[in-house]
Amino acid sequence: MKLAPVDYTILAVYFAFVLGIGWMLRKKMSTSGDFLLSGRSVPVWITSLAFIAANLGAQELVGMSASGAKYGIMTAHFYWIGAIPAILFVGIFMMPFYYGSKARSVPEYLKMRYDEKTRTYNAFSFAVMTIFSSGISMYALGKLLQLVLGWDFNMSILVSAAIVLVYTFLGGLTSAIYNEVLQFLLIVAGFSPLAILAVAKAGGWHGIQARLGATTLAGGMSGKVMTHAWTYMGSPHSNPMGVELFGMVAGLGFVLSFGYWCTNFLVIQRAMAADSMNSARRTPLIGAFPKMFLPFIVIVPGIAAVALASMGPSVYSIPLDATTHLPNYNLVITTLMARFYPAGMLGVGLTGLVASFMSGMAGNVTAFNTVWTYDIYQTYIRPNAPDRHYLNVGRATTVVGVLLSIGAAYVATKYDNIMDLLQLVFGFVNAPLFATFLLGMFWKRGTGHAAFSGLVTGTVAASLTWCLTVAEGKGGILGTVYTFPSAMAQSFWIALMAFTSCFLVTLVVSLATKPRPAKDLEGLVYGLTKIPQDRGSWYQRPAPLAVIIIAILLVLNIWFA
Amino acid sequence: MLDLRVPSGWFFTVLGLILLGMGLFAPETRAALSDANVNLYSGLAMLVFGLFMLLMAWRASRRAA
Repeated sequence: MKLAPVDYTILAVYFAFVLGIGWMLRKKMSTSGDFLLSGRSVPVWITSLAFIAANLGAQELVGMSASGAKYGIMTAHFYWIGAIPAILFVGIFMMPFYYGSKARSVPEYLKMRYDEKTRTYNAFSFAVMTIFSSGISMYALGKLLQLVLGWDFNMSILVSAAIVLVYTFLGGLTSAIYNEVLQFLLIVAGFSPLAILAVAKAGGWHGIQARLGATTLAGGMSGKVMTHAWTYMGSPHSNPMGVELFGMVAGLGFVLSFGYWCTNFLVIQRAMAADSMNSARRTPLIGAFPKMFLPFIVIVPGIAAVALASMGPSVYSIPLDATTHLPNYNLVITTLMARFYPAGMLGVGLTGLVASFMSGMAGNVTAFNTVWTYDIYQTYIRPNAPDRHYLNVGRATTVVGVLLSIGAAYVATKYDNIMDLLQLVFGFVNAPLFATFLLGMFWKRGTGHAAFSGLVTGTVAASLTWCLTVAEGKGGILGTVYTFPSAMAQSFWIALMAFTSCFLVTLVVSLATKPRPAKDLEGLVYGLTKIPQDRGSWYQRPAPLAVIIIAILLVLNIWFA
Repeated sequence: MLDLRVPSGWFFTVLGLILLGMGLFAPETRAALSDANVNLYSGLAMLVFGLFMLLMAWRASRRAA
C-alpha cells in the first residue's frame, strides 16, 4: 500500500494537534495532583469518552477486526456480555467507594480498605501489567505499519512513543485524557466509513449472512456460525471460538470483564478525574453508550471481509502470512482500507489507527505514573517530601514508563493473535483482583491478611492452570491435565480458577483473622458508607441511564443471536 | 481550563476541508472497491461535525463571559 502526500499531511495535522493540546495545558500543571490526577476537574463528557478510549488501543482495534474475521459476531461478546455489564456495575456500585474514599489510585483504595502489603502487591503487578500492555500495543502498531506501509519498525515505534512522551510530559493526565477524546473521535471518523462501505459491498447484513451461510470454515463448520452470537454456543465444538456458554458467561462475562473494568486503574483513573461524585459515577455509564456500538465499526468489517473474500479473489482475499501461508487476520483491517479508501480518506483511517495506539499507550503511561509515584515511591522510597518533589518524580516517571514500554514491545513477539496474550496476562493479574474488591466493598468482615493471601493464591492458581493445560500448543509446561479447544477457552478458565480460589481463600482467612473495627471502614465498605442521593433529570442520574443501556443491550443481543 | 471543543472542532474542520477539497478537485481519486466519492461525503461530515463543536464552544464561552 502506498500513501499519497495528502495522507501524510493528515498524519502531520494530527501530530500537530495532539502536541498542541499538550502545549496549551502545560501551565496548568503546578501540583502533583494536577499532573497525576487532573485535579479532579474534568467535565463528564470528556472523562466518559476517555474512559472508553484509554481501553481502545491499537491491539484492540486490530485484534477485534482479526477476531471478527476468525470468530464472527461472537466476538461482540467482548462488548455486550463482557464490557457493558461490568461498566454498569462499576458506575452504579463501586464508584461511590473509589471516588468517595478520596483514594488517589486503585492500589491506594486497597491500602485504606485492607493493608499495606495488599496495596503493594497490587501496585507492583499493575505497574508490570501496564508496561506490558503498552509494549504489546506498540509492537502491534510497529509490526502493522512495517507490513502494510513498509515503514521501519523501530522508526514508527520511536516516533509515536516520542510524541506520546512529549504531550503526557507537558500536560500530565489532563493532556492524556483530552487527547484520548480527540483520538476516540478520530478513530470513529476513520473507521466507520469502512464499516459502511464494506458491509454495503457485501450486500448489507443480509447479504453477509447469505454469503457466509453458503461457505464452510477452515475447521469444517458451516459459515452460519459467523453471523450468530448465541445460537452456536451450546458446545465448544460447534463454534470457531471453542467456547461454551458457561465459559463465555462466567469466564469472560463475569470474571475477566469485571476484573478489567472494575479494578483496572487505567480506566478507573479516568472516572476519578471527574469533577464530582455524580460525574464520576456517570462516566462509565455515558461511556457505555458509544462502547455498545463499537462492535459495528471494529468487528463487523472483519466479518464483512470474509464475506467479500467469498465473492472471489478479484474482490478481496484474506491476506496470508508470508512464512506460514495461513491467513493473517491482523492484516484484515488495513487491507480493507486499501481496497475501499481513496487517498485522503486512507490517511484519516491510518491516522485513526496511529491514534488508537497513542491513546492506549498514553493511558498506560499515565496510570503507571500515578501508581509508581504515589503507591511505590511515596510509600517506600521517599515519604513526606514537598509536593513539588512528587510532581518532578511524576514527570521523570513519564520518561521511564515510555522507555520501559519500548523495551516491552520487543518482548511481545510470541503470539499471533494479540488479544489472546492480553487475556492471558489479565487472567493472571486482574481476575483474582475482582474477588478481592467484591469482598472488600460489600463485606465488612474481609481482612488485610485474607485479601493478600487470596490474591497470591489466585495468581498461583492462574499460573498453575496455565502450566497444566494445553491449548493451540501453548501452556502445559508441567504436564497436560486437560486440553482446551482454543487458547481463548483456556484463558477464560484460567480466569475462573483464579477468581474462585482467590474468593474462597479470602473468605476463609477473613473468618479466621481479627476483623477491623467498623469505624475504620467508614466510606470504604457498603453499609458503612453514605451512598449519595441522586438528583436532577433522568440523564443526570446513574440508575435511569443504566436501565436504558440494559434495554439497548437486550435488543442488540436478541437481534444478533 | 482549556475547552476541548475548540481544538477538536478545529481539527475536524481542517480534516473536513482537506477531504472536501480532494473530493471536489480530484473526484477521480477512487479506491478499487468503492464507486462513491468517499472523500467528498466523509469530508463533508467531518466539516459539519467540526463546525458544530466550534459553535458549541463559542456559545459556552459567550455564556461564561
